[in-house]
Amino acid sequence: MTENTNNVIKEDLVVTRIIDAPIELVWKAWTDPEHVKRWWGPKNYTSPTCKIDLHEGGKYIFCMHSPIDQGDLDMYTTGVYKKIVPMERLEFTQSLSDKDGNKIEPFQVGMPPDFPKEIRTQIVFRAIGNLTELTITEFDWPVSQMSVYSYAGMHQSIDKLSASLARA
Amino acid sequence: MNTITFNALAEPNRLRIVELLRENPYPVGEIARRLVLRQPQVSKHLRVLSAAGLVKVHPAAQQRIYQLQAKPFKELDNWLETFRRIWETRLDNLDKYMQELKEDQKRNKK
Repeated sequence: MTENTNNVIKEDLVVTRIIDAPIELVWKAWTDPEHVKRWWGPKNYTSPTCKIDLHEGGKYIFCMHSPIDQGDLDMYTTGVYKKIVPMERLEFTQSLSDKDGNKIEPFQVGMPPDFPKEIRTQIVFRAIGNLTELTITEFDWPVSQMSVYSYAGMHQSIDKLSASLARA
Repeated sequence: MNTITFNALAEPNRLRIVELLRENPYPVGEIARRLVLRQPQVSKHLRVLSAAGLVKVHPAAQQRIYQLQAKPFKELDNWLETFRRIWETRLDNLDKYMQELKEDQKRNKK
């Protein structure tokens, strides 16, 4: 836990998940737009477009489209790749954006005042035999009820994953 | 989802009061005693929490008992659920897609 000069306490958000696929395939799933489109949207969402300029300093724009009962909307995420080490590590920023990749102020789309404008994100890939362990870290979330709840949700999902592996 | 709930909970001592009231409804004097805060300070925080609809006061004999209200917490929880689910469902999707891809590759080899 760190504290910046504005006295906003910040914390990193970490999710770990083991994916049942070899590391080459999982790397492709994160870096090839045709693959990203197939999984980026959450449940019942689709991902109609995806642009990736895969080099350090290059930009990406991912899109997710919400189902009709959740507004039938396109939501764009943009960012810049900061570090690319094939099959090892991806570092990039995440911001809300419009379809052309122009950043949007979070409060304009109903987010709370302390919602970060840019989230520094790191994905670490680790091969475990034919499986791949993914560790996703979103740095410096302001500690609010939101991150407290996200933590609770993540621990749940890791518990669930361990349970499913124990059964396997 | 409105920001009044967030603002009301953002102050550390108000959050402590909410945490305490999860156990039991208490009068202001008891809240001050348990959290080692000054009573006027607690009264001020309770006014903010009441205005946000997070607590309700019940008069009982000479005392005013403060109790949490479920509705704003439920609204907060519903809203937070959407964030909590994002990575979880995204990784579920990734895993599912990887299985489809592996099946395709197997079929193509044959």
